[in-house]
Amino acid sequence: MDSLFTGLLQESISGTALGCIYALIALGFTLIYKASEVVNFAQGELMMVGAYVNFFLVTSFMAESGEPTGWIFLSGFIGSILFAVLFGWFLDRIINRPLKDEPVFSVIMATISLSIILRAVVSMFAGPMSLIPVSPFGNQIVAVGGIVISILDISIIVSAILLVVLFYYFFHKTKWGIAIQATSEDPVAAQLMGIAVKRVYGLVWIFSAIVATISGILLAPRMSLLDTSMGFLGLKAFPAAVLGGFGSITGAIAGGIMMGVIETISMGTLSFYFSWIKEINDIIVWIVLIAILMVKPDGLFGVEKVRKV
Amino acid sequence: MLKLVGVETFYGKIKALHGVSLEVKEGQLVTILGANGAGKTTILKTISGLVEPEHGTIHFNGQRIDGEDSEKIVALGIGHVPEWRRIFPELTVEENLLMGGFLIKEKELLYERMEEAFRHFPILEKRKKQIAGTMSGGEQQMLAILRALMIRPKLLLLDEPSLGLSPILVRDIFTTIKDLHQSGVTILLVEQNVNRALSIADYGYVLTTGKILLSGTYEELLNEEKVREQYLGEGKYMRRSKLWSG
Ligand SMILES: Nc1ncnc2c1ncn2[C@@H]1O[C@H](COP(=O)(O)OP(=O)(O)OP(=O)(O)O)[C@@H](O)[C@H]1O
Ligand SMILES: [Mg+2]
Repeated sequence: MDSLFTGLLQESISGTALGCIYALIALGFTLIYKASEVVNFAQGELMMVGAYVNFFLVTSFMAESGEPTGWIFLSGFIGSILFAVLFGWFLDRIINRPLKDEPVFSVIMATISLSIILRAVVSMFAGPMSLIPVSPFGNQIVAVGGIVISILDISIIVSAILLVVLFYYFFHKTKWGIAIQATSEDPVAAQLMGIAVKRVYGLVWIFSAIVATISGILLAPRMSLLDTSMGFLGLKAFPAAVLGGFGSITGAIAGGIMMGVIETISMGTLSFYFSWIKEINDIIVWIVLIAILMVKPDGLFGVEKVRKV
Repeated sequence: MLKLVGVETFYGKIKALHGVSLEVKEGQLVTILGANGAGKTTILKTISGLVEPEHGTIHFNGQRIDGEDSEKIVALGIGHVPEWRRIFPELTVEENLLMGGFLIKEKELLYERMEEAFRHFPILEKRKKQIAGTMSGGEQQMLAILRALMIRPKLLLLDEPSLGLSPILVRDIFTTIKDLHQSGVTILLVEQNVNRALSIADYGYVLTTGKILLSGTYEELLNEEKVREQYLGEGKYMRRSKLWSG
Protein backbone atom coordinates (compact mmCIF):
# COMPACT_ATOMS: atom_id res chain seq x y z
CA MET A 1 0.00 0.00 0.00
CA ASP A 2 2.83 2.33 0.95
CA SER A 3 4.66 1.69 -2.27
CA LEU A 4 1.44 2.35 -4.15
CA PHE A 5 1.20 5.70 -2.42
CA THR A 6 4.80 6.76 -3.06
CA GLY A 7 4.44 5.55 -6.65
CA LEU A 8 1.36 7.66 -7.16
CA LEU A 9 2.99 10.66 -5.51
CA GLN A 10 6.07 10.34 -7.66
CA GLU A 11 4.00 10.02 -10.80
CA SER A 12 1.94 13.01 -9.79
CA ILE A 13 5.03 15.15 -9.49
CA SER A 14 6.54 14.01 -12.74
CA GLY A 15 3.08 14.30 -14.34
CA THR A 16 2.79 17.82 -13.04
CA ALA A 17 6.07 18.67 -14.73
CA LEU A 18 4.86 17.24 -18.02
CA GLY A 19 1.52 18.94 -17.45
CA CYS A 20 3.24 22.29 -16.92
CA ILE A 21 4.61 22.00 -20.42
CA TYR A 22 1.19 21.14 -21.82
CA ALA A 23 -0.12 24.09 -19.84
CA LEU A 24 2.40 26.43 -21.43
CA ILE A 25 1.54 25.19 -24.91
CA ALA A 26 -2.13 25.67 -24.14
CA LEU A 27 -1.39 29.12 -22.71
CA GLY A 28 0.30 30.33 -25.89
CA PHE A 29 -2.52 28.88 -27.90
CA THR A 30 -5.23 30.43 -25.72
CA LEU A 31 -3.57 33.85 -25.90
CA ILE A 32 -3.93 33.97 -29.66
CA TYR A 33 -7.39 32.48 -29.57
CA LYS A 34 -8.64 34.94 -26.99
CA ALA A 35 -7.24 37.95 -28.77
CA SER A 36 -8.20 37.13 -32.32
CA GLU A 37 -10.32 33.95 -32.33
CA VAL A 38 -7.61 32.34 -34.42
CA VAL A 39 -6.94 28.71 -33.54
CA ASN A 40 -3.20 28.46 -34.07
CA PHE A 41 -2.50 24.95 -35.30
CA ALA A 42 1.20 25.77 -35.49
CA GLN A 43 1.60 26.26 -31.73
CA GLY A 44 3.39 22.92 -31.35
CA GLU A 45 5.68 23.76 -34.25
CA LEU A 46 6.54 27.10 -32.66
CA MET A 47 7.60 25.09 -29.63
CA MET A 48 9.62 22.72 -31.80
CA VAL A 49 11.36 25.58 -33.57
CA GLY A 50 12.18 27.14 -30.21
CA ALA A 51 13.69 23.87 -28.98
CA TYR A 52 15.83 23.59 -32.11
CA VAL A 53 17.02 27.18 -31.99
CA ASN A 54 18.03 26.70 -28.38
CA PHE A 55 19.77 23.44 -29.23
CA PHE A 56 21.78 25.02 -32.02
CA LEU A 57 22.71 28.06 -29.98
CA VAL A 58 23.86 25.97 -27.04
CA THR A 59 25.81 23.46 -29.12
CA SER A 60 27.49 26.15 -31.17
CA PHE A 61 28.44 28.12 -28.06
CA MET A 62 29.75 24.88 -26.65
CA ALA A 63 31.81 24.23 -29.78
CA GLU A 64 33.45 27.62 -29.20
CA SER A 65 34.36 27.23 -25.59
CA GLY A 66 34.28 23.50 -25.08
CA GLU A 67 32.77 23.44 -21.61
CA PRO A 68 29.00 23.32 -21.06
CA THR A 69 28.80 26.05 -18.44
CA GLY A 70 25.77 27.69 -16.92
CA TRP A 71 26.57 30.81 -18.92
CA ILE A 72 26.29 28.91 -22.16
CA PHE A 73 22.84 27.67 -21.28
CA LEU A 74 21.83 31.11 -20.14
CA SER A 75 23.05 32.78 -23.33
CA GLY A 76 21.35 30.05 -25.36
CA PHE A 77 18.13 30.74 -23.48
CA ILE A 78 18.34 34.49 -23.95
CA GLY A 79 19.24 34.04 -27.61
CA SER A 80 16.22 31.77 -28.10
CA ILE A 81 13.92 34.31 -26.47
CA LEU A 82 15.24 37.05 -28.74
CA PHE A 83 14.65 34.75 -31.65
CA ALA A 84 11.10 34.12 -30.43
CA VAL A 85 10.40 37.85 -30.30
CA LEU A 86 11.54 38.29 -33.89
CA PHE A 87 9.77 35.14 -35.00
CA GLY A 88 6.46 36.13 -33.38
CA TRP A 89 6.71 39.57 -34.92
CA PHE A 90 7.46 38.05 -38.31
CA LEU A 91 4.52 35.61 -38.11
CA ASP A 92 2.16 38.44 -37.25
CA ARG A 93 3.40 40.27 -40.36
CA ILE A 94 3.10 37.35 -42.75
CA ILE A 95 0.01 35.60 -41.37
CA ASN A 96 -2.09 37.86 -39.25
CA ARG A 97 -1.85 41.27 -40.91
CA PRO A 98 -2.25 40.32 -44.56
CA LEU A 99 -5.32 38.25 -43.65
CA LYS A 100 -6.87 40.70 -41.24
CA ASP A 101 -9.93 41.39 -43.35
CA GLU A 102 -10.40 37.78 -44.38
CA PRO A 103 -12.54 35.34 -42.41
CA VAL A 104 -10.86 33.89 -39.32
CA PHE A 105 -11.02 30.56 -41.11
CA SER A 106 -8.41 31.72 -43.65
CA VAL A 107 -6.04 32.59 -40.86
CA ILE A 108 -6.59 29.17 -39.32
CA MET A 109 -5.82 27.50 -42.65
CA ALA A 110 -2.69 29.62 -42.85
CA THR A 111 -1.55 28.34 -39.46
CA ILE A 112 -2.01 24.76 -40.66
CA SER A 113 0.18 25.51 -43.68
CA LEU A 114 2.65 27.20 -41.39
CA SER A 115 2.91 24.10 -39.21
CA ILE A 116 3.73 21.93 -42.22
CA ILE A 117 6.22 24.44 -43.61
CA LEU A 118 7.97 24.81 -40.26
CA ARG A 119 8.42 21.06 -39.92
CA ALA A 120 9.86 20.88 -43.44
CA VAL A 121 12.17 23.84 -42.97
CA VAL A 122 13.50 22.59 -39.66
CA SER A 123 14.27 19.14 -41.00
CA MET A 124 15.95 20.78 -43.98
CA PHE A 125 18.28 22.70 -41.69
CA ALA A 126 18.72 20.06 -39.04
CA GLY A 127 18.94 17.08 -41.30
CA PRO A 128 16.79 13.99 -40.99
CA MET A 129 18.52 12.76 -37.87
CA SER A 130 17.14 13.11 -34.41
CA LEU A 131 19.39 15.02 -32.06
CA ILE A 132 20.18 14.33 -28.47
CA PRO A 133 18.96 17.31 -26.50
CA VAL A 134 21.15 19.00 -23.93
CA SER A 135 20.11 20.19 -20.51
CA PRO A 136 21.93 22.22 -17.89
CA PHE A 137 20.75 19.72 -15.28
CA GLY A 138 21.90 16.52 -16.89
CA ASN A 139 20.27 13.58 -15.16
CA GLN A 140 20.56 14.87 -11.63
CA ILE A 141 17.93 13.80 -9.18
CA VAL A 142 16.93 14.42 -5.62
CA ALA A 143 15.44 11.78 -3.37
CA VAL A 144 12.96 12.78 -0.69
CA GLY A 145 11.75 9.90 1.44
CA GLY A 146 11.56 7.28 -1.26
CA ILE A 147 10.37 9.68 -3.93
CA VAL A 148 12.83 10.41 -6.70
CA ILE A 149 12.47 13.69 -8.53
CA SER A 150 14.65 14.87 -11.35
CA ILE A 151 16.07 18.36 -11.08
CA LEU A 152 14.82 18.90 -14.59
CA ASP A 153 11.22 18.31 -13.50
CA ILE A 154 11.65 20.70 -10.61
CA SER A 155 13.08 23.33 -12.92
CA ILE A 156 10.16 22.85 -15.30
CA ILE A 157 7.62 23.32 -12.54
CA VAL A 158 9.42 26.34 -11.13
CA SER A 159 9.80 27.97 -14.54
CA ALA A 160 6.17 27.38 -15.36
CA ILE A 161 5.06 28.95 -12.09
CA LEU A 162 7.33 31.94 -12.66
CA LEU A 163 6.06 32.39 -16.17
CA VAL A 164 2.41 32.18 -15.16
CA VAL A 165 2.93 34.69 -12.34
CA LEU A 166 4.68 37.01 -14.77
CA PHE A 167 1.83 36.68 -17.25
CA TYR A 168 -0.79 37.20 -14.62
CA TYR A 169 0.95 40.36 -13.53
CA PHE A 170 1.28 41.59 -17.08
CA PHE A 171 -2.35 40.94 -17.99
CA HIS A 172 -3.90 42.39 -14.89
CA LYS A 173 -1.56 45.13 -13.78
CA THR A 174 -0.08 46.74 -16.85
CA LYS A 175 -1.75 49.04 -19.32
CA TRP A 176 -0.77 47.01 -22.36
CA GLY A 177 -1.83 43.80 -20.66
CA ILE A 178 -5.30 45.15 -19.95
CA ALA A 179 -5.36 46.57 -23.47
CA ILE A 180 -4.85 43.05 -24.82
CA GLN A 181 -7.83 41.87 -22.78
CA ALA A 182 -9.89 44.83 -23.93
CA THR A 183 -9.01 44.16 -27.55
CA SER A 184 -9.99 40.55 -27.27
CA GLU A 185 -13.34 41.54 -25.80
CA ASP A 186 -14.17 44.25 -28.32
CA PRO A 187 -11.61 45.30 -30.91
CA VAL A 188 -13.79 48.13 -32.22
CA ALA A 189 -14.28 49.70 -28.83
CA ALA A 190 -10.57 49.21 -28.18
CA GLN A 191 -9.80 51.23 -31.29
CA LEU A 192 -12.01 54.01 -29.99
CA MET A 193 -9.83 54.13 -26.86
CA GLY A 194 -6.84 54.87 -29.06
CA ILE A 195 -5.45 51.36 -28.65
CA ALA A 196 -3.41 50.39 -31.71
CA VAL A 197 -5.15 47.09 -32.27
CA LYS A 198 -2.69 45.95 -34.92
CA ARG A 199 0.13 46.31 -32.43
CA VAL A 200 -1.84 44.38 -29.84
CA TYR A 201 -2.15 41.43 -32.21
CA GLY A 202 1.57 41.64 -32.94
CA LEU A 203 2.27 41.63 -29.22
CA VAL A 204 0.07 38.58 -28.73
CA TRP A 205 1.92 36.61 -31.39
CA ILE A 206 5.24 37.60 -29.85
CA PHE A 207 4.08 36.46 -26.42
CA SER A 208 2.78 33.27 -27.84
CA ALA A 209 6.08 32.56 -29.57
CA ILE A 210 7.95 33.28 -26.32
CA VAL A 211 5.88 30.83 -24.26
CA ALA A 212 6.15 28.26 -27.03
CA THR A 213 9.92 28.62 -27.13
CA ILE A 214 10.22 28.31 -23.37
CA SER A 215 8.04 25.21 -23.37
CA GLY A 216 10.22 23.78 -26.14
CA ILE A 217 13.41 24.45 -24.22
CA LEU A 218 11.92 22.82 -21.12
CA LEU A 219 10.43 19.86 -22.92
CA ALA A 220 13.36 18.90 -25.17
CA PRO A 221 15.60 17.43 -22.46
CA ARG A 222 12.65 15.45 -21.15
CA MET A 223 12.47 13.61 -24.43
CA SER A 224 15.32 11.28 -25.27
CA LEU A 225 15.50 12.55 -28.85
CA LEU A 226 14.82 15.88 -30.44
CA ASP A 227 13.10 15.67 -33.80
CA THR A 228 10.48 17.56 -35.73
CA SER A 229 7.66 15.32 -34.55
CA MET A 230 7.88 17.22 -31.25
CA GLY A 231 5.52 19.67 -32.94
CA PHE A 232 2.70 17.12 -32.81
CA LEU A 233 2.67 17.52 -29.05
CA GLY A 234 1.13 20.89 -29.80
CA LEU A 235 -2.08 19.03 -30.51
CA LYS A 236 -2.26 18.32 -26.79
CA ALA A 237 -3.02 21.96 -26.34
CA PHE A 238 -6.54 21.25 -27.59
CA PRO A 239 -7.71 18.82 -24.94
CA ALA A 240 -5.91 20.92 -22.34
CA ALA A 241 -7.63 24.08 -23.48
CA VAL A 242 -11.02 22.41 -23.85
CA LEU A 243 -10.69 20.69 -20.49
CA GLY A 244 -10.19 24.01 -18.78
CA GLY A 245 -12.82 25.85 -20.78
CA PHE A 246 -11.84 27.14 -24.19
CA GLY A 247 -10.46 30.65 -24.08
CA SER A 248 -9.81 30.71 -20.33
CA ILE A 249 -6.17 31.18 -19.40
CA THR A 250 -6.55 29.74 -15.90
CA GLY A 251 -8.42 26.88 -17.50
CA ALA A 252 -5.68 26.21 -20.02
CA ILE A 253 -3.14 25.95 -17.24
CA ALA A 254 -5.29 23.72 -15.04
CA GLY A 255 -6.28 21.58 -18.01
CA GLY A 256 -2.66 21.14 -19.08
CA ILE A 257 -1.51 20.05 -15.65
CA MET A 258 -4.42 17.64 -15.27
CA MET A 259 -3.58 16.08 -18.59
CA GLY A 260 0.05 15.59 -17.67
CA VAL A 261 -0.88 13.94 -14.37
CA ILE A 262 -3.54 11.70 -15.87
CA GLU A 263 -1.22 10.56 -18.65
CA THR A 264 1.67 9.83 -16.33
CA ILE A 265 -0.39 7.95 -13.77
CA SER A 266 -2.22 5.91 -16.33
CA MET A 267 1.05 4.99 -17.99
CA GLY A 268 2.59 4.09 -14.62
CA THR A 269 0.59 2.74 -11.71
CA LEU A 270 -2.70 2.20 -13.51
CA SER A 271 -1.14 0.23 -16.34
CA PHE A 272 0.67 -1.88 -13.73
CA TYR A 273 -2.66 -2.93 -12.27
CA PHE A 274 -4.69 -2.90 -15.47
CA SER A 275 -2.47 -3.90 -18.33
CA TRP A 276 -5.10 -2.99 -20.94
CA ILE A 277 -4.67 0.66 -20.05
CA LYS A 278 -1.36 0.67 -21.93
CA GLU A 279 -3.25 0.07 -25.11
CA ILE A 280 -5.57 2.99 -24.66
CA ASN A 281 -2.99 5.29 -23.14
CA ASP A 282 -2.91 7.56 -26.14
CA ILE A 283 -6.60 8.23 -25.93
CA ILE A 284 -7.07 8.23 -22.18
CA VAL A 285 -6.91 12.01 -22.05
CA TRP A 286 -9.66 12.25 -24.62
CA ILE A 287 -11.84 9.82 -22.66
CA VAL A 288 -11.43 11.94 -19.54
CA LEU A 289 -12.12 15.00 -21.64
CA ILE A 290 -15.43 13.66 -22.92
CA ALA A 291 -16.41 12.53 -19.43
CA ILE A 292 -15.75 15.99 -18.01
CA LEU A 293 -17.53 17.76 -20.82
CA MET A 294 -20.57 15.58 -20.22
CA VAL A 295 -20.76 16.92 -16.68
CA LYS A 296 -19.50 20.46 -17.35
CA PRO A 297 -20.09 21.37 -20.98
CA ASP A 298 -18.23 24.68 -20.64
CA GLY A 299 -15.10 22.99 -19.31
CA LEU A 300 -13.85 23.22 -15.74
CA PHE A 301 -13.28 26.95 -15.82
CA GLY A 302 -15.64 27.86 -18.62
CA VAL A 303 -16.80 31.41 -18.24
CA GLU A 304 -20.36 32.29 -18.96
CA LYS A 305 -20.45 35.28 -21.24
CA VAL A 306 -21.82 38.39 -19.58
CA ARG A 307 -21.99 40.39 -22.79
CA LYS A 308 -25.53 41.58 -23.20
CA VAL A 309 -26.02 42.52 -26.82
CA MET B 1 -13.93 72.58 -35.55
CA LEU B 2 -15.22 69.55 -37.47
CA LYS B 3 -16.09 69.72 -41.12
CA LEU B 4 -17.26 66.98 -43.45
CA VAL B 5 -17.45 67.68 -47.17
CA GLY B 6 -19.03 65.27 -49.64
CA VAL B 7 -18.27 62.18 -47.58
CA GLU B 8 -19.13 58.86 -49.22
CA THR B 9 -18.68 55.65 -47.27
CA PHE B 10 -19.20 52.12 -48.52
CA TYR B 11 -19.67 48.77 -46.83
CA GLY B 12 -18.32 46.54 -49.54
CA LYS B 13 -20.42 47.51 -52.53
CA ILE B 14 -23.23 49.07 -50.51
CA LYS B 15 -23.08 52.83 -50.38
CA ALA B 16 -24.08 53.97 -46.90
CA LEU B 17 -23.25 57.69 -47.17
CA HIS B 18 -24.05 59.59 -50.36
CA GLY B 19 -21.96 62.70 -50.04
CA VAL B 20 -22.57 63.97 -46.52
CA SER B 21 -21.47 67.50 -45.66
CA LEU B 22 -21.86 68.90 -42.20
CA GLU B 23 -20.13 71.15 -39.74
CA VAL B 24 -19.74 71.32 -35.99
CA LYS B 25 -18.43 74.59 -34.57
CA GLU B 26 -16.45 74.86 -31.36
CA GLY B 27 -18.72 74.80 -28.32
CA GLN B 28 -21.78 73.66 -30.23
CA LEU B 29 -24.05 70.73 -29.56
CA VAL B 30 -25.05 69.42 -32.96
CA THR B 31 -27.45 66.55 -33.47
CA ILE B 32 -27.97 64.17 -36.37
CA LEU B 33 -31.49 62.82 -36.66
CA GLY B 34 -32.79 60.13 -38.95
CA ALA B 35 -34.65 56.86 -39.16
CA ASN B 36 -33.11 53.43 -38.70
CA GLY B 37 -30.51 52.65 -41.31
CA ALA B 38 -30.20 56.27 -42.43
CA GLY B 39 -26.46 56.17 -41.87
CA LYS B 40 -26.08 58.07 -38.59
CA THR B 41 -23.75 55.54 -37.01
CA THR B 42 -21.79 55.36 -40.24
CA ILE B 43 -21.11 59.10 -40.09
CA LEU B 44 -19.65 58.77 -36.59
CA LYS B 45 -17.66 55.67 -37.54
CA THR B 46 -16.24 57.50 -40.53
CA ILE B 47 -15.22 60.45 -38.37
CA SER B 48 -13.38 58.20 -35.89
CA GLY B 49 -11.64 56.26 -38.61
CA LEU B 50 -13.39 52.93 -37.97
CA VAL B 51 -14.40 52.96 -41.63
CA GLU B 52 -12.64 54.86 -44.36
CA PRO B 53 -14.57 57.15 -46.72
CA GLU B 54 -14.18 56.51 -50.43
CA HIS B 55 -14.70 60.15 -51.34
CA GLY B 56 -14.86 63.46 -49.56
CA THR B 57 -12.80 65.09 -46.85
CA ILE B 58 -13.00 65.39 -43.09
CA HIS B 59 -11.16 68.19 -41.31
CA PHE B 60 -10.76 68.50 -37.57
CA ASN B 61 -9.34 71.79 -36.29
CA GLY B 62 -7.93 72.46 -39.72
CA GLN B 63 -6.24 69.08 -39.98
CA ARG B 64 -7.34 66.50 -42.51
CA ILE B 65 -8.26 63.28 -40.70
CA ASP B 66 -10.07 61.08 -43.23
CA GLY B 67 -8.11 57.91 -43.92
CA GLU B 68 -6.12 58.23 -40.69
CA ASP B 69 -5.87 55.36 -38.19
CA SER B 70 -8.38 55.69 -35.40
CA GLU B 71 -5.71 55.80 -32.70
CA LYS B 72 -4.38 58.98 -34.33
CA ILE B 73 -7.84 60.50 -34.52
CA VAL B 74 -8.56 59.73 -30.87
CA ALA B 75 -5.22 61.28 -29.96
CA LEU B 76 -6.28 64.50 -31.69
CA GLY B 77 -9.11 64.76 -29.18
CA ILE B 78 -12.16 63.02 -30.58
CA GLY B 79 -13.97 60.83 -28.06
CA HIS B 80 -16.60 58.39 -29.31
CA VAL B 81 -19.31 56.69 -27.27
CA PRO B 82 -20.44 53.95 -29.64
CA GLU B 83 -23.93 52.66 -30.23
CA TRP B 84 -24.96 50.14 -27.54
CA ARG B 85 -22.20 51.50 -25.25
CA ARG B 86 -19.72 48.70 -25.90
CA ILE B 87 -17.98 48.87 -22.58
CA PHE B 88 -15.53 46.02 -21.99
CA PRO B 89 -17.91 43.64 -20.21
CA GLU B 90 -15.34 41.39 -18.56
CA LEU B 91 -13.09 44.15 -17.31
CA THR B 92 -13.80 45.99 -14.08
CA VAL B 93 -15.22 49.51 -14.02
CA GLU B 94 -11.80 50.82 -13.08
CA GLU B 95 -10.10 48.95 -15.91
CA ASN B 96 -12.65 50.29 -18.37
CA LEU B 97 -11.77 53.83 -17.33
CA LEU B 98 -8.10 52.97 -17.51
CA MET B 99 -8.62 51.95 -21.11
CA GLY B 100 -10.46 55.18 -21.75
CA GLY B 101 -7.26 56.91 -20.69
CA PHE B 102 -5.04 54.57 -22.65
CA LEU B 103 -3.39 57.48 -24.47
CA ILE B 104 -2.56 59.35 -21.28
CA LYS B 105 1.14 58.85 -20.61
CA GLU B 106 1.45 60.25 -17.09
CA LYS B 107 0.16 57.89 -14.44
CA GLU B 108 -0.76 60.67 -12.03
CA LEU B 109 -2.86 62.47 -14.59
CA LEU B 110 -4.59 59.20 -15.42
CA TYR B 111 -5.60 58.61 -11.81
CA GLU B 112 -6.58 62.23 -11.39
CA ARG B 113 -8.96 61.89 -14.32
CA MET B 114 -10.34 58.71 -12.85
CA GLU B 115 -11.04 60.46 -9.55
CA GLU B 116 -12.79 63.17 -11.52
CA ALA B 117 -14.92 60.63 -13.33
CA PHE B 118 -15.95 59.11 -10.02
CA ARG B 119 -16.85 62.55 -8.71
CA HIS B 120 -19.14 62.90 -11.71
CA PHE B 121 -20.84 59.60 -10.90
CA PRO B 122 -20.27 58.57 -7.31
CA ILE B 123 -22.25 55.35 -7.87
CA LEU B 124 -19.45 54.09 -10.07
CA GLU B 125 -16.81 54.63 -7.44
CA LYS B 126 -18.53 52.10 -5.21
CA ARG B 127 -18.53 49.73 -8.16
CA LYS B 128 -14.91 50.32 -9.07
CA LYS B 129 -14.00 46.65 -8.80
CA GLN B 130 -17.24 45.33 -10.26
CA ILE B 131 -17.13 43.52 -13.59
CA ALA B 132 -18.59 46.12 -15.90
CA GLY B 133 -20.86 43.71 -17.77
CA THR B 134 -22.79 42.95 -14.59
CA MET B 135 -23.96 46.53 -14.17
CA SER B 136 -27.35 47.84 -15.24
CA GLY B 137 -27.86 49.38 -18.66
CA GLY B 138 -27.94 52.90 -17.28
CA GLU B 139 -24.76 52.44 -15.27
CA GLN B 140 -23.08 50.97 -18.32
CA GLN B 141 -24.07 53.98 -20.39
CA MET B 142 -22.65 56.32 -17.77
CA LEU B 143 -19.46 54.29 -17.76
CA ALA B 144 -19.27 54.45 -21.56
CA ILE B 145 -19.55 58.23 -21.45
CA LEU B 146 -17.03 58.61 -18.64
CA ARG B 147 -14.66 56.27 -20.44
CA ALA B 148 -14.74 58.54 -23.49
CA LEU B 149 -14.25 61.61 -21.29
CA MET B 150 -11.00 60.32 -19.78
CA ILE B 151 -8.90 61.95 -22.49
CA ARG B 152 -10.84 65.23 -22.13
CA PRO B 153 -11.92 65.15 -25.77
CA LYS B 154 -12.33 68.40 -27.64
CA LEU B 155 -15.18 66.80 -29.54
CA LEU B 156 -17.44 64.09 -28.16
CA LEU B 157 -19.38 61.81 -30.51
CA LEU B 158 -22.43 60.24 -28.87
CA ASP B 159 -24.29 57.48 -30.69
CA GLU B 160 -27.83 57.03 -29.36
CA PRO B 161 -26.93 57.28 -25.69
CA SER B 162 -30.57 56.78 -24.68
CA LEU B 163 -30.91 53.47 -26.51
CA GLY B 164 -32.68 50.85 -24.43
CA LEU B 165 -32.90 52.95 -21.28
CA SER B 166 -35.99 53.56 -19.16
CA PRO B 167 -37.62 57.04 -19.37
CA ILE B 168 -36.08 58.20 -16.10
CA LEU B 169 -32.62 57.17 -17.21
CA VAL B 170 -33.18 58.80 -20.58
CA ARG B 171 -33.90 62.04 -18.74
CA ASP B 172 -30.75 61.63 -16.64
CA ILE B 173 -28.62 60.96 -19.69
CA PHE B 174 -29.92 64.05 -21.44
CA THR B 175 -29.26 66.14 -18.35
CA THR B 176 -25.72 64.82 -18.34
CA ILE B 177 -25.25 65.68 -21.99
CA LYS B 178 -26.55 69.17 -21.38
CA ASP B 179 -24.19 69.61 -18.43
CA LEU B 180 -21.26 68.42 -20.50
CA HIS B 181 -22.15 70.85 -23.22
CA GLN B 182 -22.47 73.70 -20.73
CA SER B 183 -19.07 72.86 -19.30
CA GLY B 184 -17.65 73.53 -22.74
CA VAL B 185 -17.45 70.17 -24.51
CA THR B 186 -18.32 70.26 -28.19
CA ILE B 187 -20.76 67.45 -28.93
CA LEU B 188 -22.06 65.65 -32.00
CA LEU B 189 -25.11 63.70 -30.88
CA VAL B 190 -26.93 61.01 -32.84
CA GLU B 191 -30.44 60.38 -31.58
CA GLN B 192 -33.80 58.91 -32.44
CA ASN B 193 -35.27 60.71 -29.48
CA VAL B 194 -36.01 63.72 -31.66
CA ASN B 195 -37.72 66.11 -29.32
CA ARG B 196 -35.26 65.74 -26.51
CA ALA B 197 -32.27 65.88 -28.83
CA LEU B 198 -33.45 69.03 -30.55
CA SER B 199 -34.41 70.70 -27.31
CA ILE B 200 -30.81 70.68 -26.09
CA ALA B 201 -29.10 71.09 -29.48
CA ASP B 202 -27.82 74.27 -31.11
CA TYR B 203 -28.18 72.85 -34.56
CA GLY B 204 -29.58 69.73 -36.20
CA TYR B 205 -29.12 67.75 -39.38
CA VAL B 206 -31.75 65.41 -40.76
CA LEU B 207 -30.39 62.38 -42.56
CA THR B 208 -32.31 60.09 -44.91
CA THR B 209 -30.69 57.12 -46.62
CA GLY B 210 -27.19 58.52 -46.47
CA LYS B 211 -28.04 62.08 -47.51
CA ILE B 212 -28.51 65.25 -45.49
CA LEU B 213 -32.08 66.28 -46.21
CA LEU B 214 -32.18 69.51 -44.27
CA SER B 215 -30.56 71.27 -41.41
CA GLY B 216 -31.32 74.10 -39.06
CA THR B 217 -31.94 75.18 -35.50
CA TYR B 218 -34.58 73.63 -33.25
CA GLU B 219 -37.24 76.11 -34.30
CA GLU B 220 -36.39 75.89 -37.97
CA LEU B 221 -36.61 72.13 -37.97
CA LEU B 222 -39.77 72.01 -35.91
CA ASN B 223 -41.39 74.36 -38.39
CA GLU B 224 -40.82 71.83 -41.14
CA GLU B 225 -44.04 70.14 -40.09
CA LYS B 226 -44.32 67.61 -42.89
CA VAL B 227 -40.68 66.73 -42.98
CA ARG B 228 -40.81 66.27 -39.27
CA GLU B 229 -43.55 63.67 -39.43
CA GLN B 230 -42.05 61.93 -42.39
CA TYR B 231 -38.36 61.91 -41.66
CA LEU B 232 -37.77 62.61 -38.04
CA GLY B 233 -39.63 59.40 -37.35
CA GLU B 234 -41.52 61.21 -34.69
CA GLY B 235 -44.60 59.07 -35.06
CA LYS B 236 -42.56 56.03 -34.29
CA TYR B 237 -40.95 57.73 -31.37
CA MET B 238 -44.32 58.62 -29.94
CA ARG B 239 -45.38 55.03 -30.13
CA ARG B 240 -42.21 53.99 -28.44
CA SER B 241 -42.69 56.42 -25.59
CA LYS B 242 -46.27 55.23 -25.15
CA LEU B 243 -44.99 51.71 -24.92
CA TRP B 244 -42.68 52.79 -22.14
CA SER B 245 -45.24 54.71 -20.17
CA GLY B 246 -47.86 52.00 -20.62
N1 LIG C 1 -20.92 46.57 -41.15
C1 LIG C 1 -21.83 46.79 -42.13
N2 LIG C 1 -21.81 46.04 -43.26
C2 LIG C 1 -22.69 46.26 -44.25
N3 LIG C 1 -23.65 47.20 -44.20
C3 LIG C 1 -23.73 47.97 -43.11
C4 LIG C 1 -22.82 47.81 -42.01
N4 LIG C 1 -23.12 48.71 -41.06
C5 LIG C 1 -24.18 49.41 -41.56
N5 LIG C 1 -24.53 48.97 -42.77
C6 LIG C 1 -25.62 49.51 -43.60
O1 LIG C 1 -25.40 50.89 -43.79
C7 LIG C 1 -26.62 51.61 -43.67
C8 LIG C 1 -26.47 52.65 -42.58
O2 LIG C 1 -26.29 52.02 -41.34
P1 LIG C 1 -26.07 52.80 -39.98
O3 LIG C 1 -25.76 51.80 -38.94
O4 LIG C 1 -25.12 53.89 -40.20
O5 LIG C 1 -27.52 53.41 -39.74
P2 LIG C 1 -28.10 54.18 -38.50
O6 LIG C 1 -28.68 55.44 -39.02
O7 LIG C 1 -27.09 54.30 -37.44
O8 LIG C 1 -29.28 53.23 -38.04
P3 LIG C 1 -29.84 52.91 -36.56
O9 LIG C 1 -30.74 54.02 -36.20
O10 LIG C 1 -30.59 51.64 -36.74
O11 LIG C 1 -28.67 52.78 -35.67
C9 LIG C 1 -27.69 50.57 -43.37
O12 LIG C 1 -28.36 50.31 -44.57
C10 LIG C 1 -26.94 49.38 -42.90
O13 LIG C 1 -27.60 48.21 -43.27
MG1 LIG D 1 -26.94 53.64 -35.56
